[in-house]
Amino acid sequence: MSCPKTQHLLQEYFSDDLAPLAREEIGNHLNSCEQCSNELEALLFAQSNLQKWQEQQVPHWDRGLELFRREHRSGNFRSGFWSRWQWLPTAASFAMLGILLLNVSVTSNQQGFSLSFGAGSGNSEQFDVQLSEFQARQQNEMEALITRVEDRLDSNSIQLLQAVMDQTQQSTAENLDRIYAFFEQQRIRDLEDMRVGYQELVDSDYETIRSLQQLAQFVSYQGTVR
Amino acid sequence: MSLINEDEALIAAALKGSAYAWEKLVKRYESRVYNHGLRLTGNSSDAMDLMQEVFLGVYRNLHRFRGDAKFSSWIFRIAHNKAVDMNRRKRLMTLQSKSGDQDERDIFEQIASYSHDEPDARLSSEELNSQIVKMLSILPLDQRLIVELKVFQSQTFEEIADMQDISVNTAKTRFYTALKKLKVVLEENHVLP
Repeated sequence: MSCPKTQHLLQEYFSDDLAPLAREEIGNHLNSCEQCSNELEALLFAQSNLQKWQEQQVPHWDRGLELFRREHRSGNFRSGFWSRWQWLPTAASFAMLGILLLNVSVTSNQQGFSLSFGAGSGNSEQFDVQLSEFQARQQNEMEALITRVEDRLDSNSIQLLQAVMDQTQQSTAENLDRIYAFFEQQRIRDLEDMRVGYQELVDSDYETIRSLQQLAQFVSYQGTVR
Repeated sequence: MSLINEDEALIAAALKGSAYAWEKLVKRYESRVYNHGLRLTGNSSDAMDLMQEVFLGVYRNLHRFRGDAKFSSWIFRIAHNKAVDMNRRKRLMTLQSKSGDQDERDIFEQIASYSHDEPDARLSSEELNSQIVKMLSILPLDQRLIVELKVFQSQTFEEIADMQDISVNTAKTRFYTALKKLKVVLEENHVLP
């Protein structure tokens, strides 16, 4: 009979930090249960077979030294050369920012170079006049363009409206013709139905009269016989 | 200086660019990693490939090693992941146990004779390792890795569970199942005492 505790017990046996009490309990059970102790012995034997592994010597290899030296050489180059100049891009960025913010202008004439901060006042007035002329010209051109666009839109809208109305009229006339033809056809069919009904009524009355005549003849014949 | 402190000193020096420290660090662990690869892959060529991939991974991630775990555990975590990757690329050790296989029967007869300490039949280290590799080859990779990490690398079930992203109990169950399979193979081949 198999012991129900075997799996759980032996799994716990191989635990890393087994409490002393649990280890004692497992030991007690192993002493009393032959099946569990045999199973444990077999598992330990399998494990000890693996532990007979003989360490093999590593074949010769460069231990990644070439890669290490190559990458660190390039790393040293970076840290050696660039570390002295790495402030340069930052400084250049700040210089550009200063030039933009202070609106620095450099002009050269016969007297040499001159550096000025902010825009010159004379230039500014001339620039304002040119700018207002340019704005007025732009506005005129824009208004002319808007007028042309509106005209074109209006003419297009009228054409479209006319076309829609023509089409609507035409389709309305066609629809009226169709409705008239339908009513006419319906009227003729009703008349025909009435004629047939009347004929049937007449035929039926004629039959009734004939039956009455036959009945009268029969009655008169019976009177004669008596 | 303890081994762990020595590791940390070597790592710090290697990170500063000392090729000597890097070489010394690799030398300390290359044999363990290579033999780990031999047991997992079953051949020297794949074991070398695995070892090189492991140390390349160690080199690339050395700056991330925080020292909150043992360096050896950290290396074998990388080795574990590399072995799983390698197994995806090419099935590692596809040899399966077949009871009728004559070569295999011979191998287990040799183990049996070795186990019973008959001096004349003592196996060479290569032959003995070959038997162990064949025994391990019957296990699926996840169980083989657990046996490897537990028996040969003395990792705790907690560390193994963390590596394989499983619970500690699952790790214990896999280890127990693996040992049972090895026991059955040894029984079938009349190797058990």
